Amino acid sequence: MSSTFDQVATIIAETCDIPRDTITPESHAIDDLGIDSLDFLDIAFAIDKAFGIKLPLEKWTQEVNDGKATTEQYFVLKNLSARIDELVAAKGASA
Amino acid sequence: MQLEYFHMIDRIVDLKVDEKKIVVEAQVPKESTIFEGHFPGYPLMPGVLLIESMAQASGWLLLGMLKFERMPILAAVKEAKVRGSVFPEDLITIEAGLTHEGSGYAMTEAKIRVGGKLRANSTLTFTLIPFPNADMRGHMEAMAQRIGFPHQAITP
Repeated sequence: MSSTFDQVATIIAETCDIPRDTITPESHAIDDLGIDSLDFLDIAFAIDKAFGIKLPLEKWTQEVNDGKATTEQYFVLKNLSARIDELVAAKGASA
Repeated sequence: MQLEYFHMIDRIVDLKVDEKKIVVEAQVPKESTIFEGHFPGYPLMPGVLLIESMAQASGWLLLGMLKFERMPILAAVKEAKVRGSVFPEDLITIEAGLTHEGSGYAMTEAKIRVGGKLRANSTLTFTLIPFPNADMRGHMEAMAQRIGFPHQAITP
């Protein structure tokens, strides 16, 4: 079974036509990979479907805009993968 | 329909918020300045306006599901196919259904039929934004009244 990061990286590579081998856990989706907000909707959709969750993009964006979080916390892929794992775990706990 | 004003929907035939589906109708006008250019001697509904019609049908579905608290804005058009021509005076029926509701965005699938025959379909993505001002919200509420938006369908 592939790791969350591997699944996310594959989704990004296929959705945004970015070479898979250029995507690392340290990659920042926006700053390093150049993914814009519209492309990120497609990625969010694919992640929602693949993991059975709902990425809280609005909440994250609000936190960044309010200075309560940095984009690195949510959009560096190792951190994004950790957030996904938390959401999956929370969903499993509430099921 | 008033093509020049982008009023693409005449009436809501059915809105089922719990099933996340809507059916609307619109009568393509006999005459329009658009048909003077598209095309002289062979008036034809532009495909881009068919996509806009599907977007507006989807938009009314999303407005209903969101109880007019957010405004859906078209963000992406995928797999749009114009499978047959739509002509002046055609009565078009548009069905739209929600396929995914994300955080701040939603996706729908929509189909246009004339006389039961499929003429166009598309997958659409919308961002869901707060109404930017009271004018826009007022306009949408007036439009809702004009097309018979069934407010009882979204009130508990």
